[in-house]
Amino acid sequence: MLKAENLVKKFDGKTVLNGVRLNAKGGGVYGLVGSNGAGKSTLLRLLSGVYKGDAGSVTLDGAPVYDNPAAKKRLVFVPDELFFLPQASLRRMAALYGACYKGFDRARFDELCRIFGLDAKKRIHTFSKGLKRQAAMALALSCRTEYAFFDETFDGLDPVMRNLARKIIYADVCERGLRAVITSHSLRELEDTCDTLALLHQGNIVLDQSVEDLKSSYFKVQAAFDFDYDERLFENIGFRQFKKTGSVSNFILSGGREEAEKIIRAKSPVLFEMIPLTLEEIFMVEMASLGYSHEESLI
Amino acid sequence: MLQIDRYSRTPIYEQVISQIEEMIARGLFSPGDLLPSVRSLSQELNVNPNTLQKAYAELERKGLCISAPGSGRFIAKDARRILVESKKGRLEELTQLVRELKDAGVGYEEIIKCVKNAFED
Repeated sequence: MLKAENLVKKFDGKTVLNGVRLNAKGGGVYGLVGSNGAGKSTLLRLLSGVYKGDAGSVTLDGAPVYDNPAAKKRLVFVPDELFFLPQASLRRMAALYGACYKGFDRARFDELCRIFGLDAKKRIHTFSKGLKRQAAMALALSCRTEYAFFDETFDGLDPVMRNLARKIIYADVCERGLRAVITSHSLRELEDTCDTLALLHQGNIVLDQSVEDLKSSYFKVQAAFDFDYDERLFENIGFRQFKKTGSVSNFILSGGREEAEKIIRAKSPVLFEMIPLTLEEIFMVEMASLGYSHEESLI
Repeated sequence: MLQIDRYSRTPIYEQVISQIEEMIARGLFSPGDLLPSVRSLSQELNVNPNTLQKAYAELERKGLCISAPGSGRFIAKDARRILVESKKGRLEELTQLVRELKDAGVGYEEIIKCVKNAFED
């Protein structure tokens, strides 16, 4: 298990990560989302041992990751700004990766190049931005590590390639229990790909749950009654963002769906609807609760 | 085999569960039939294997399928009976719905006609 405990990281006196706690184990795809500047890339770099934390720890099965080749050989990191040896061909990069990772699978690499439509003999600097990302993925996944970190890698791929990359990662999850950790700006993308999602905000992880649990816990509720009432009617239900227009109330429910439904139905509503939220809406609700929203801004 | 709507607000694992239940109810899956492996279904639908694993675990919990380590998952012998029993719980919803329709002024004959048509479908 890869564990981050009370991780703190500062740059020039500014605290970027402030006591982050995270567990990643077993096969699957862990998504990290957060506002710009929240520290996602920093966290990935700490998890993969590129950076050293100022406090707290990152351990793999109990042993620290930083400066530990035995741990590092079990991880591979694809940064948001890709780096390749200048003038190198893809094949040359594969040789470099092969030298660093004993488990580098040349056959797998050839297969991934074929699937991604990459010519390994060509020099990478001639590739387009998207193809460079595909090349980076092919190299990383050929290392056959237990953990793989992708910093906004999917964001630069076209939809067809994104689907393909997702499939390939799923195959590795099934076959060898790969745990992929990805960051993305697109919640839509994360929603489709990940089984667990963590929300990073102002240096802390404020939400860390399975995607399916999130999608079955948050609801938009609309209810109307033919008698006078106010929000106290719902006081036994934990709600947020309560709004009432005329006799119609709207609010957000997070958790306790069955209970809430029973309570509301018992009051004989003339209108009652419960719609699940999309991940993007959940994100907005949670951020609003943290005071990060633009509800009041009128452009 | 299964149709997943990624853009639906219904979580994927719920879609998988309800579609497999429907297939069992309609006899498209018979007791003893092998369910597709998580791996093959994950590749076919391009859905996270953990999500599918969760759906399968829930179907097992409900007693609709049994897993034989090394061989996969099979539809349980009394899967259909279990489904019928659990669906009966929805009769309460139907009662509620009929009340709503009645209150809105929909006539008895019209409601019965609807029930008949649905049955004969």
